[in-house]
Amino acid sequence: MFFREAIMRAVREEMRGNDRIVILGQDVGAFGGSYREFDGLFEEFGAGRVRDMPVAEAAMVGVGVGAAAAGLRPLVSITYMDFMMLGFDPLINYGAKLRYKTGGQLTAPLVVKTTAGAKGQGVAHSQCIEAWLMSVPGLKVVAPSTAADAYGMLKAALREEGPVVFVDHKRLFPVAGEVPLAEEIVPFGLAKVCRSGTDLTISTHSFMTRVAMEAADLLQSEGVSAEVIDLRSLAPLDIDTIAGSVRRTNALLTLEEGQVTCGVGIEVIARVQEILAPISAARVGALPAPVSSNRVLEPACLPDAQRVVQAARKLLKR
Amino acid sequence: MLIRSFEEALSRRKDHGFQLLSSGEEAVAVGLCSILNEEDQLLTGGRSIGPSLARGVEPARVMAELLGKASGTNRGKGGRGHLADPAAGFFGAHAVVGGNISIAGGVALAKQMLGSEGIVAILFGDGAFGAGGLHETLNIAATWRLPLLFVCNNNQLSVSTPRNAALAPKNLSDIGMAFGIPSQTVDGMDVDIVRKAMGDAVDHARAGNGPVFLECISYRFSSHSTTARETRSRSELTAIRAKCPIVLYTAVLKAAGILNPDMEKELSRDVAEAVEGALAFADASEYPNASEVLTDVW
Repeated sequence: MFFREAIMRAVREEMRGNDRIVILGQDVGAFGGSYREFDGLFEEFGAGRVRDMPVAEAAMVGVGVGAAAAGLRPLVSITYMDFMMLGFDPLINYGAKLRYKTGGQLTAPLVVKTTAGAKGQGVAHSQCIEAWLMSVPGLKVVAPSTAADAYGMLKAALREEGPVVFVDHKRLFPVAGEVPLAEEIVPFGLAKVCRSGTDLTISTHSFMTRVAMEAADLLQSEGVSAEVIDLRSLAPLDIDTIAGSVRRTNALLTLEEGQVTCGVGIEVIARVQEILAPISAARVGALPAPVSSNRVLEPACLPDAQRVVQAARKLLKR
Repeated sequence: MLIRSFEEALSRRKDHGFQLLSSGEEAVAVGLCSILNEEDQLLTGGRSIGPSLARGVEPARVMAELLGKASGTNRGKGGRGHLADPAAGFFGAHAVVGGNISIAGGVALAKQMLGSEGIVAILFGDGAFGAGGLHETLNIAATWRLPLLFVCNNNQLSVSTPRNAALAPKNLSDIGMAFGIPSQTVDGMDVDIVRKAMGDAVDHARAGNGPVFLECISYRFSSHSTTARETRSRSELTAIRAKCPIVLYTAVLKAAGILNPDMEKELSRDVAEAVEGALAFADASEYPNASEVLTDVW
């Protein structure tokens, strides 16, 4: 099953089981979503529950949060993660704080599903800003890398009691993967060991998990055994699984497509250090520049397997 | 009278940081709330003491919230600008200017989709008029025919900047026309006029005909907050305070023979008692335990 189909299946199953789930966003209706990840849902559930909205992300999130607080369970689709910035006020100032600021009277169970990552679309359509969101109390953030996890985690997201940001990735949509035939929930807060190793732990998430696996193959041919861990859930973060791995490998390399400054990686490193005392660690991420649509500059900015291998060699002093 | 007295009592206190008062704007809140039913919800901007009291939220719990006590509407965690009591039909205030407008759109969508009889009113100031959230939500509310009342309490000041320096339209209600939304500008100092306009608007929305936009012209008697500088001249303020909606309506009721001096005295006494009671309740209440800092985060 393709990644986009896994999303579609999760939403369809949840919408069948809970008539309070509505989809709000740009081109989600008859068009079926920018990546056809909502194909067929408009036909099955109608224009009332699968609602096209004007291209006004602030109001998409605002209406979604308000509807969530008042009893619905909206999935708000924000086509590109860059555009989430327009919806930060309702999401962060209202949705994430609602339960706290009302003393538990109200909560906003909505899912903002958005697409991160670079695929030739330029400086304002390519960013991975999930690290910005990890520091918001009251917000959960997940970013799966496989079709099975996309399916299971989106189902979990649609059953959460507060706001969730579900981050998928442009380059993952066309990727196929095994998805269980039976209904399955993937709970938040559990990282997944994708490949076992003994010399180095690579902590990553989303599309970069595939890059990490490629790098691990290359490292293997150099005699380095790398363990690859897909965080899947960024908030809450399963730091025990990473720390357990680093306890054995004694080296931690973090990999993300976003910026390394105040990124996911440095947070992982810091929290592992809090458990294990100083460790040998390094970060790999995009270069500190905007991600251009230019066919030379885009790949120049983004991390790839070679860059991961080089960083690993340096970290392990090989 | 309760709102004015409550705010005056609160402004004499110094143990709450600062407050956002609405003295002078009472007729807007009271006129609006006098029309709303139990199943309706009211959302407001941060200037929410008057509207919450007008909606019927218990004064003691409002006072406790504003003074940070655990017996407050929000367990003391919301404080000024974030009062909420959805069970009383006051879905809540939100202190980001214009931030609650699209939220109200969502509450109205939920009402519509869940088949509720209720409607939603969003009360905001002219300060929020220039914000994108209003324009985006007007468009969506008109497209989906949401049961939503946009009530702009035009108190002439965007925080401290005069209305004419901040907003281009001659009448703020002109904005409704662009979206095909019935719109009106009324005198917000006259509670009867406000109530009449709100009544028509609520009927329209309740009948499923979609949103309505009302601009109420009012005057804020004090500065943005109890600690903000007053930018208007003394003579300007005297002229503004002469338009007091409470004095105006008292005269109307007396002229109509509805209110006599004894009743007026009794009302004043009741109000004073209610405010004293609210203060006593708040003062007798505890602050939240510090361990509550981590409860209800998720």
